[in-house]
Amino acid sequence: MALSRRTLLAGALAAGAGLTSGCAGKPLDTLLTQAAQVPRTPATLTWWVSEIPARNGPVVADLIIRAFQRRHPHIHVRKSNALSATDANRAAVTTQLAGASPTPDVYLGDTTWPAQFGSNSLALPLQTLLPKDFWTSYPAALRRVSEYRGAVYALPFYTDSAFLFYRKDLLAKHGRPVPRTWEELLRTARTIQRAGDAAYGFLWQGSVSESLTCNVAEFLADAQAPVLDGAGRVALDGAGAERAFALMREFTETGVTPSTVATYVEADSQDAFTGGRGVFLRNWSYAWGNAADRSASKVAGRVGVAPRPGFEGAGPRGVSCAGGWSNFVNPNSRHLGAAVAFARFCAGEEAQMILLKHAGVIPAMEEVLTRPEARAVGDPTLTRVRELHLVARPVQTPYYPQVSKALYTRANAVIGGRATPAQALRAARADIRTALEGRAL
Amino acid sequence: MSRRAPASGIRRYVNAVNLGGLAIVVLSALPLYWMIASSFKGPGEISAAPPTLVPKAATLGNYAEAFVRNGIGRYLLNSVLVASVSTVVVLGLSFFAGYALGRTPLRGRGAIMTALLMLSVFPPIALVVPLFLLERQLGLLNSYAGLIVPYVALNLPFAIWIMRNYLAGVPRELEEAATVDGAGPLRTVLTVIAPLARPGLFTAGIFTFTATWSEFLLALTFNSEDGHRTVPVGIALFTSQYTVPYGTLFAGAVAATLPIGILVMIFRRSIVSGMTSGAVKG
Amino acid sequence: MTSPAPASRRPAAEQAGPPPAQAPRGDGPGRVSRRRRARTGWLFASPALLTIAAVTVFPVLFSVLLSFADVRLEYGGFRILSLTGDHYAAVLSSPEWRQALFFTFGFTVVTVLLELVLGTAAALVLERLGAARGWVLAVLLLPWALINVVAAQLWGYLFNGTYGGLTWLFEQFLGHQPDILGQPASAMGAMVVVDVWKTTPFVAIVVLAGLMLIPGDVYEAAEIDGAGTWTTFWKVTLPQLRPIMAIAVLFRILQAFGIFDLPFVLTQGGPGTATESLAILGYKTLFQNLAIGRGAAVATTTAVIVISCCLLFLRVFRTQADEGGRA
Repeated sequence: MALSRRTLLAGALAAGAGLTSGCAGKPLDTLLTQAAQVPRTPATLTWWVSEIPARNGPVVADLIIRAFQRRHPHIHVRKSNALSATDANRAAVTTQLAGASPTPDVYLGDTTWPAQFGSNSLALPLQTLLPKDFWTSYPAALRRVSEYRGAVYALPFYTDSAFLFYRKDLLAKHGRPVPRTWEELLRTARTIQRAGDAAYGFLWQGSVSESLTCNVAEFLADAQAPVLDGAGRVALDGAGAERAFALMREFTETGVTPSTVATYVEADSQDAFTGGRGVFLRNWSYAWGNAADRSASKVAGRVGVAPRPGFEGAGPRGVSCAGGWSNFVNPNSRHLGAAVAFARFCAGEEAQMILLKHAGVIPAMEEVLTRPEARAVGDPTLTRVRELHLVARPVQTPYYPQVSKALYTRANAVIGGRATPAQALRAARADIRTALEGRAL
Repeated sequence: MSRRAPASGIRRYVNAVNLGGLAIVVLSALPLYWMIASSFKGPGEISAAPPTLVPKAATLGNYAEAFVRNGIGRYLLNSVLVASVSTVVVLGLSFFAGYALGRTPLRGRGAIMTALLMLSVFPPIALVVPLFLLERQLGLLNSYAGLIVPYVALNLPFAIWIMRNYLAGVPRELEEAATVDGAGPLRTVLTVIAPLARPGLFTAGIFTFTATWSEFLLALTFNSEDGHRTVPVGIALFTSQYTVPYGTLFAGAVAATLPIGILVMIFRRSIVSGMTSGAVKG
Repeated sequence: MTSPAPASRRPAAEQAGPPPAQAPRGDGPGRVSRRRRARTGWLFASPALLTIAAVTVFPVLFSVLLSFADVRLEYGGFRILSLTGDHYAAVLSSPEWRQALFFTFGFTVVTVLLELVLGTAAALVLERLGAARGWVLAVLLLPWALINVVAAQLWGYLFNGTYGGLTWLFEQFLGHQPDILGQPASAMGAMVVVDVWKTTPFVAIVVLAGLMLIPGDVYEAAEIDGAGTWTTFWKVTLPQLRPIMAIAVLFRILQAFGIFDLPFVLTQGGPGTATESLAILGYKTLFQNLAIGRGAAVATTTAVIVISCCLLFLRVFRTQADEGGRA
């Protein structure tokens, strides 16, 4: 008995040691060689894609897949159910990728992911597979966030920009212009609320998630306060930053924004606005299509779009987070060549035109936005995107999730009145410093 | 309590006990009713404020969507497979282990029982990392075996407790009689003990099935790929274009809860007796 | 019920002690030696014990190793770069970890206390119910049988800030729309409510089982002595129930400490990190931040706390049980 127990233990330790030493993966060059060739044999790809907001009937992803399959008849593409909420989406796809799963072959990811995913070998670096002039067709800001340490991990698909949506009828009724500053927006909203025409003045997203980080980044940019400096160190400080945080508190304190905004993601704020409960809404460009849809929105036909206000005095107007979604290639995919071909197709002109005509998002390819079809669609967000002042979130660090968490946790406390703007700023600064040093959990 | 003569008149029905029973029923069932009612509400009504108690325009659309667009049929199949196989394996292994720990002079069985007690409530988060990496090396992620093996191991402790306490009460004479007849230990166990163990097996079985049906953390981590997701993961990750699709979600939830709900209601006495043997005699 | 007559009513701690001595058996046909029966026992028990060990013991040891390692994911594999104590330093000095510990601890204490009180009350009601008992029991078991994430989604809907049923109800009494899941205090309260709703049935039927085993003559003796309802309950029923309640409490404490499903779906650990349990913190560290070594450190510290609580509880309870036995 004792002998067999000892043998068991020895065997287990040996097995454990074997597994512990880790397993060497495939060298990168092998993978890239495979990725450079589009196979002639049939292949089935899985595309992890969350639902692309559609302007009219057809499912946009299906249209793109069909167009791709017409070009490459022997490659079949299947969609995989992905989430619309970016944080949960990331955890779900990260788990699969970190588990060396061969699927999904291509996945649609937030434009904030390249640094984290690249540094953890969850996406294939593609710069050697792209033509030299690839990036001239796309916004410079998009190129910057798609790279990490010189390697390109994300191929453009569509961008998201944030606008101010407003109720044309309510502003007309009270004879108010579209506000150009936050101070003016507060006054207008309060007037309309007091008259009983709307329950809420200004709706945005304040939940503890990436949604709030976007809002915070925009308010900070309104006040011209940076988060990180050029060297990647924390620079969140000063009167401008405090003004931005104080504004967020002012919204909930005065009742212009309901306190429940602390739990709002895009969907909640959109629901409230299209239900007729709010005067102003900050949301991504898809909100236009949804608000104009008579079957889904009670305020169809009464909604206007404008760039976001700025602060009174000097400072930019029309600030918007450079959001968007890009395609990444799974390095464990069994069909690397086909996967890269599909990701490049999505960034190409044909797919971008499909997005323009049928999706409520902004195609990444800039040239497409100048075509006559863009005006014909009748979506003001497409035509006004050039007026926007795009700002990047501090995504150049692989610790971006922790940095984002620091921002949204502290901002949420300010919104809920649990911390003063000064306290929250101090705490955020300390948290970000910890995060950048890699010491955050 | 003293056994007084039964009350008459109104006190027969309106007394503290019956009111308590009513309270239990209402508090337990009201949220469940809400879930079922909401599964029949259309997208406009489900996000209506103030909420409606009875759906004004009942629709089966949510069920259609849950099955067609969100693929809950697939998740249900995966769950049935994983839960059934795990339960069968657990019953087989725990029967023999329970017999061994309850009826044979195994050295150190006291310590083993204590260790099993602690393992039965071990926080799964502590196992997720190493199991994830190990299964990744072995290629077991996004497979059925990758979930079944951990489920079996995590449910065995409690099942062994139940079987051991149950089997310990079987009279010795039956076994001895079989041994006198010349039967070996395996034959004895299978012919004499096994038929008597059925109630204990039912109890262990229902606990294991319920636990593996609802397990979330391991399923979320190991089988996140769409084709192998189990029902809890599927429901937690339901997708839609703009909002949390509560209607579809509840339709899926009702579909997922129905099998377990029916099983639990049928075997409720088993559950109580399982608690008896597990807690009281243990 | 068709369970066999209970072999004994000794509490768990005593059963976990050394096995009772066996009377020596005489020789004769059919008398199997002790050693052979013990070996049969090992043969029968080893498949189960090996499976458990393979999935729990060795991975936990591996996890401890990882918590001291700098792990990096690579294309198709992983590598341990070096061994370091940094992870534990980071975890123990992290305010987020301390917050998670504080919350998990507080949540455990509050929910277990509430469930004990409500569960005992429910068990008392169930014991006295006549014909209706079967049905009430069936309905009571439904929340217990509900999948955790489903229950969380359901209550998330009820607590929804804009159109939740409970939000509307509170609004009628408070005059304004309460932000239940958006403020830390009420979010914690909401989590307690959901957990109590879901798990009180478990405590109730454990206590019910205990109640049904109390012999009737104990009550008769109390009645003869002229004890009232409350005194009977406090001085007679409760002491008899103590061993069972202890087991139920132990199980619940250990389960509540590892809570994951509920906060994951209901609040994602929010608002802020108010409802971030230790398990949620571990999961986020592992799969949102991909910090494997650090996540392993969080998980290992959680496991250590759970095991220590268990051992402490067993030790305390064993002493109490001995004293109770002597009294």
